[in-house]
Amino acid sequence: MSQSRWSPVSNPIGARVEQLAQSLAEHIVPLIVDAIDIDAILEKVDVDKIVSKVDVDKIVDRVDVDKIVERVDIERIVERIDVQKIIERVDVNAIVDEIDIDALVEQTELGSIIARSTTGVATEILDVIRSQGVGLDDFILRWGNRLVGRRRRLATWPDGPPLLVTPKRSIR
Amino acid sequence: MTTVPVPAPEMTVGRQGHYAGAASRLVAFAADVGAAWGLYTLGVALLNAAVKLITGHSFALSNHQGIAFLVLTVWEFFYFTYQWAVSGKTLGMALFGLQVVTRRGGPISGRQAALRTIGLAFTLFITLGIGFLGIVFQRERRGLNDLIAGTAVVYDWDARAARLRWIARKERPLHRGQHGPGTEAKRA
Repeated sequence: MSQSRWSPVSNPIGARVEQLAQSLAEHIVPLIVDAIDIDAILEKVDVDKIVSKVDVDKIVDRVDVDKIVERVDIERIVERIDVQKIIERVDVNAIVDEIDIDALVEQTELGSIIARSTTGVATEILDVIRSQGVGLDDFILRWGNRLVGRRRRLATWPDGPPLLVTPKRSIR
Repeated sequence: MTTVPVPAPEMTVGRQGHYAGAASRLVAFAADVGAAWGLYTLGVALLNAAVKLITGHSFALSNHQGIAFLVLTVWEFFYFTYQWAVSGKTLGMALFGLQVVTRRGGPISGRQAALRTIGLAFTLFITLGIGFLGIVFQRERRGLNDLIAGTAVVYDWDARAARLRWIARKERPLHRGQHGPGTEAKRA
């Protein structure tokens, strides 16, 4: 119905009719809606056809992903992750088995470290002599002072110079 | 594969910077005496050969006792003083993992190195070694030569590297290249 040139003030009959129609609609429409079986209508609707007509690409193009990402609280997600459970499920031995040790030695400084540290029989002999020397030093120190009756005082002696070794605390 | 067991940590890593004891120092000193004497003998032999080559006359320093003694004394003084001044350790001490430091643990000076060498000669020849008893009975394991120079001797060897070497040489139950049970099917 086209808009009338007449205003409700100048057309009281039209206004009255409109009010009547409004009142009728308010009563009739709920009755009609209640009478309608929505489920039956839905069963007749072919959703696949509707979906196939939807252009998803256009919808996706309109989505601003950056804004969505900005609203994601990563900290809260991370807090909820149980890292310990993830670690327990990782098979470290399987990972280690996959490591190519030869390539690791060739391509990293590990090779030079191993070369420096594994220098053969002479180094092994030296290591043994040094460690045995330490043992012998302890023995001589302990028994020498025991002979002069200073066995207990040894415990209070400093292990090394103050710049190299933390001084012992005195126990009272 | 070696069968030397891995020494306990307190015998290796835990001793770095600690005062060295009598046995280690004696062995290092013996090595130094041997090295110094060996180098002196070599030097004298080279000198004799050089003099003979240049003058055509045979020469033996040992025929000139006074000069030989003087040369030996100067050489021994230089051997110990120079090495202590430069790095705090002589050849023998480097071999057995020892180092001379100040009483507080810092690097020693050239003056201290010279004083220590003189103190060493004094302790050895004048006190006939009695001054070395301080290494066993003195609180900071310092002999008379250390007391004169204001120095101390500590363990300095890279015990951590040694421990890694021992661990690396230890036989493992599963060598690299072998696989545990259940993995053969996956690798086939």
